[in-house]
Amino acid sequence: MATGTAACRSFAIAGTGAIRPPPPARRGTLGWLRANLFATPLDGAVTLALAAAIAWLAPKALAWAVLDAVWWAPDGRACRDAAGACWAVITEKHRLILFGTYPYAEQWRGALVVLLFVAMLAASAGPWLAARAKLWGWAATALAILVLMLGGVPGLEPVGTHLWGGLPLTIVIFIGTVAGGMPLAVLLALARQSELPILRALAVGVIEVVRGLPLLAVLFVASLIFPLFVPVELQIDKLLRAEIGMIIFFGAYAAEIVRGGLQAVAAGQREAAAALGLGYWPRTRLVVLPQALATVVPPLLGDVIRAFKNTTYVAILGLFDVLGATKVALDDPAWSRHAAEAYLFIFLLYLVFCLAFSRWGMAVERRLARRRRG
Amino acid sequence: MTPVTRDLVVELVHVGKWYGAFHALRDVSLGVARGETVAICGPSGSGKSTLIRCVNGLERHQEGEIRVAGTALGSDGSGVEEVRRRTGMVFQSFNLFPHLSVLDNLTLGPIYAAGEAADRAGRRALALLDRVGIADQAAKFPGQLSGGQQQRVAIARALMREPEVMLFDEPTSSLDPERVQEVLAVMEELAAGGMTMLVVTHEMGFIRRIADLVVFMDQGEVVEAAPPALFFAQTHTERARAFLGRVMHL
Repeated sequence: MATGTAACRSFAIAGTGAIRPPPPARRGTLGWLRANLFATPLDGAVTLALAAAIAWLAPKALAWAVLDAVWWAPDGRACRDAAGACWAVITEKHRLILFGTYPYAEQWRGALVVLLFVAMLAASAGPWLAARAKLWGWAATALAILVLMLGGVPGLEPVGTHLWGGLPLTIVIFIGTVAGGMPLAVLLALARQSELPILRALAVGVIEVVRGLPLLAVLFVASLIFPLFVPVELQIDKLLRAEIGMIIFFGAYAAEIVRGGLQAVAAGQREAAAALGLGYWPRTRLVVLPQALATVVPPLLGDVIRAFKNTTYVAILGLFDVLGATKVALDDPAWSRHAAEAYLFIFLLYLVFCLAFSRWGMAVERRLARRRRG
Repeated sequence: MTPVTRDLVVELVHVGKWYGAFHALRDVSLGVARGETVAICGPSGSGKSTLIRCVNGLERHQEGEIRVAGTALGSDGSGVEEVRRRTGMVFQSFNLFPHLSVLDNLTLGPIYAAGEAADRAGRRALALLDRVGIADQAAKFPGQLSGGQQQRVAIARALMREPEVMLFDEPTSSLDPERVQEVLAVMEELAAGGMTMLVVTHEMGFIRRIADLVVFMDQGEVVEAAPPALFFAQTHTERARAFLGRVMHL
């Protein structure tokens, strides 16, 4: 019924809508193809061009990587005549690539370290563990990894850190960087928001100086310049020095991300906590930080992934992480021609770990979002 | 006035506060007697919120004296812990902790600020949630509740420390009109139960029914103070009349 009158030309019409199901979406393979690949003539052209490129490249790649590949060649001779990839470099050198110079007989310990790390990563990826259990689980895992690597307890030969290498070394450096760097980042971010001018200036100074330096420079300072100023009896382990450099570098970057999160927490949250009688630290730990960190999971995860990849920098200090160990393995003249295959393997290794971190972060994000929305 | 003879839970004497050069509170003196409800109203920017936030030290006053439940609140922040232990505060925007369940919102203060055992705090929390009519929502997160329910949770949270005075800073101003009544009902029940309350509000019906004293503020100073019947019958000042004229036509 129209309700317009002569005086008012606007109108609304009441009561003609019955409750109906939504219209059917375009379905089926053809509908999907049209919507996603051939929506416009340009889309269609791009689709066809890419399809042609894939059709041309895929058989060649398949032939090289699988059909003509050599999987096993004890002395490398079989690889010389092959048209395809020489994966034998990995089957032959995998112990050196994966464990570096760690004593051969003790390399099972390194394997156990990798397993522990992967298992804990998987265990903390899902919703089945409480946050507190995850934290304790990681603390226990880190301790177990240190004991396994160092040895010196009954049943485990002591192994000096100068012998550590390969994937376990990568994992040790990575866990150390995040475990040490994350608390440092939170402290720096809190200090930067402090009411005390000295604390604030100190935090800004550390953050800006470290962010103004390349990681390589930080590591050089930590490992080459720092020892010049310290008496010999106070010299600390090379690995530990590199680790400290990594931690400071990670902390300075992550601090700015955490600061963003802190700023995103409404002032009313701090006030409500204060009104309940909670002092600065309980209020920060129980109310502010959980919210601040939850909002910055995605960028923080970017830093975590970068920390994993940055472990490769320790190679310049003479520590052989998995990439450095691969380089050493390729020094063998019998295999030096097959660097591409070895590096491709390392590439895949890093890809798998980094993808796992990404997926993990996305799951965390979804869980947090669901809880907030209800 | 002879404030010494009364049992005052909140007492402000010649309180002054500035934001930079802006004079936000001008010589405010005010007392809330035990078991009474004092309502503060006034146009926005009149200093109502600043005043109530000074009472539990969320803002620091610079001049005058503030005493809450026998504790002096210094302009240097001294005594603030003791004062907060004896006051409960409810905010305009609820300020519930979104990452904690309703139950955890209530028990956080008692457990971590007062060291109460978790199971005892939990039992008290459920009893209070029942009192404000939302015991069935204890396991939910604040984001899953309506505004009215959230504010009732916030009231229960403030009651957990068994405060001697409840401070309400425009508790219904960010609610949908149809949700206002459920929050006011809880507040009325509190007042009827003998709670001492200081309420910043524009709910004239609530003021009329519940308040023992209406304080009208404008530009940082107390302009008028009278029992509601008197206040609504014959406002003395032009400023209060103009304000009432505006809010009563809402």
